[in-house]
Amino acid sequence: MANEQRTLEILKGLRDAVVSMDENTVKELSELALEEGVDAYDAVTEGLAKAMDRVGELYSNKEYFVPEILLASDALYAGLAILQPHIRIRTGAEKKSLLLGVVEGDVHDIGKNLVKIMFEAAGWDVHDLGVDVKLPIFGEEQARQKADVVGISALMTTSMLAIPRAIELVKAHDPDVAILVGGAPLNRELATRYGADGYAKCAGEVVKEAQAMLERVKNRKKML
Amino acid sequence: MPDQKAIMTDAQRINALLDNQKPDRVPVWHFAYAGFAMLEKGYTIAQIFLEPEKALEAERLASRKYRWVSNPTIGYAAYGSWEFGGQLKLPTGEYDQAPSVIRYPVETEGDAWSLKLPDIEKAGIIPGRIMFQENVLREKPENEPFQVICCINEPFHTAGNICGLERLCRWLIKKPEIAHHLLHLATDHSSQVAQYWAKKFGTKNALIRSADAISSNQVISPKLFETFALPYAKELHEKILTIGYKNIYVHICGEQNLNLPYWAEVPMGNPGFVSVGHEVDIMAASKYFPRDIILGNINPAIVQNSTVDEVYRLTKQIIEHGKNCSRGYIFSTGCDLPPRAPAENVMAMTRATEDAGFYSQTF
Repeated sequence: MANEQRTLEILKGLRDAVVSMDENTVKELSELALEEGVDAYDAVTEGLAKAMDRVGELYSNKEYFVPEILLASDALYAGLAILQPHIRIRTGAEKKSLLLGVVEGDVHDIGKNLVKIMFEAAGWDVHDLGVDVKLPIFGEEQARQKADVVGISALMTTSMLAIPRAIELVKAHDPDVAILVGGAPLNRELATRYGADGYAKCAGEVVKEAQAMLERVKNRKKML
Repeated sequence: MPDQKAIMTDAQRINALLDNQKPDRVPVWHFAYAGFAMLEKGYTIAQIFLEPEKALEAERLASRKYRWVSNPTIGYAAYGSWEFGGQLKLPTGEYDQAPSVIRYPVETEGDAWSLKLPDIEKAGIIPGRIMFQENVLREKPENEPFQVICCINEPFHTAGNICGLERLCRWLIKKPEIAHHLLHLATDHSSQVAQYWAKKFGTKNALIRSADAISSNQVISPKLFETFALPYAKELHEKILTIGYKNIYVHICGEQNLNLPYWAEVPMGNPGFVSVGHEVDIMAASKYFPRDIILGNINPAIVQNSTVDEVYRLTKQIIEHGKNCSRGYIFSTGCDLPPRAPAENVMAMTRATEDAGFYSQTF
């Protein structure tokens, strides 16, 4: 069993290795964490996931760009593959979930994939509907999944016109769900006009925005 | 009553700019308006690619109706995928805007190393574009300053379309030799296309039209741009100018502010046409490209989603800045004119240019 100092060393090593996109070191340190008795849950949340918070910050600050996020996430997933099977289920902490997709008419998946990475790193369950998603599917899947948040994106000026319809269809199935939208042609004002509950400008801030949005939606419900 | 004070045609305005003279007013020359023109005429966007003669008819009609410079083209951002052997899906749905890739020609490292330059006479859209170009030359409307337009993409953009954006991003860092291999092929391909057009149509009154969205800072860092995009863009442009083309039009798409110092090293011709997205300040563009004509840059999402008054106001504001560009300025959307933009918003851009775009003095 690793003592506290050794545990902190390994967690820091994991964080540094993810941030520096060093997949091999992440694998080695994940194995080492298990060998030395570091709790797998702590290794994931305090090591890998914390590192992705930092990666998100670096992206928001224009120090990291898409290639760096992708490689950091490759390192993250390599560590998760080793550590996740060893996580003992913890009760108490409610896991949030996200239903995510790019609207029909749009096959641009890079933004959606970055968002998925950030939510998974933050410990959310992500149901990825993919790209070019027929609009009724957003509502039908939400009726099945009952996700906490539905994320909808579009990159083109034409496909962005599908977003208000997609929101309508989701709300028809689940009026209380919080809907987050994003994509290059959108902004916060348009997101509000389209009926979304939140808007994220980039993947680096998306989890924070989702959490703030959930609070807003919760407070709104209380006031009704 | 439109353009009451006008003393020049659209072609004369562009020719004045080419001669380093001030035109009577700022010309309007939108980037990529074929989709809008097709819907306006009652056609579909897919027909651009299935019946290019309809695209030519629609583009010319729209340019006359909305009083802008005509430059009929059948361009699409996914260029490179089909041409190198991949598969595209045509835009047939209600929310589709352009052809999209359903299979990239390169999906593995092995694919990348075995990829060859395509036969220029048969590759993807090229035979269709040749036919389109031949049709363009049958008439000479007064608002068409360039009748030979050779569409290419910058090598970095083409490379992204050959292997897919995520794969390219990973290879830039983990397998740079593969990225360079694809970039060499993309450079050679674009250069061959320019050579092919020159052979068939000559370089007189011809414009090379290129674009690059994938190298934007929404995707890569300026450092990666310097290593992977810049050298190939320079090589390609040098080759194009050696062929005999005088002017290169490049749409530097998206958020490219950190890349501008590098783009400024790329020869654009004498002068070049540099089109920037709404993310780039017009005067910043003018600072980096003092010898080129700047085009831009109203946000297309605003043209589609705002009111007529807002589009008119914003266009006037942009023009007031643009008129200060040292080597000349053309008003344009910052990217594709949205196919479903309201007609009155599109007309508002022309009205604003006609109201506020006149110059009071000569250069």
